[in-house]
Amino acid sequence: MGRSTKKGPYVDPKLARKVSAQSGKGDRSPITTWARACTITPDFIGVTFMIHNGKTHTKLQVTEDMVGHKLGEFAPTRQFRGHTNKKETAKKPGGK
Amino acid sequence: MPRVLGVDIPANKRLEVSLTYLYGVGRSTASMLCSRLAVDPGLKARDLSEEKVTELTALLQEELIVEGALRRQIATSIGRLRDIGCYRGMRHRRGLPVRGQRTRTNARTRKGPRKTVAGKKSVKGMK
Repeated sequence: MGRSTKKGPYVDPKLARKVSAQSGKGDRSPITTWARACTITPDFIGVTFMIHNGKTHTKLQVTEDMVGHKLGEFAPTRQFRGHTNKKETAKKPGGK
Repeated sequence: MPRVLGVDIPANKRLEVSLTYLYGVGRSTASMLCSRLAVDPGLKARDLSEEKVTELTALLQEELIVEGALRRQIATSIGRLRDIGCYRGMRHRRGLPVRGQRTRTNARTRKGPRKTVAGKKSVKGMK
């Protein structure tokens, strides 16, 4: 279910403060954040974030198309390395 | 057979049904169109008068997005998701379900026919 319109989009207050502080100067250094649930607002365009994915932070340069999405949508939390190839595993000594 | 918007030729069915042969028109839109045109929804499509057909075409073009335009709109919004590298776009790119469905079993509509892996235990065996 979506969020009530009455409340408006969820923007992490701390993060919003950091973004506005940065926009005043020409500072372009990435902002490290854990606020994956934060909605990307138009003020975030052009800002670089380091978004936590549960382990490390992934880099994201916000573009206009990303407005309205959440930061977390751009930092995948799962990593799929492919299924094991049975033949290869069998060849290796000590393989399962 | 009346032609509505070029190629689309709804058959000799009730208007309410035959309009749904247009991409982007379902039963509720079809009955809305019927009432807007002041036509009996049970009327066979072949009995639709010329003026009504023109009126219908105008209505479809002005107020609704159907057929090619709708298809294009859908394709561009999916393309946008793909380009921005968000989770939903990634699911589209990989041909997996987008809305959080399980993929351990099922999800065959998105994944296509089963690709059997030799030596892999059956789903029952995995549990």
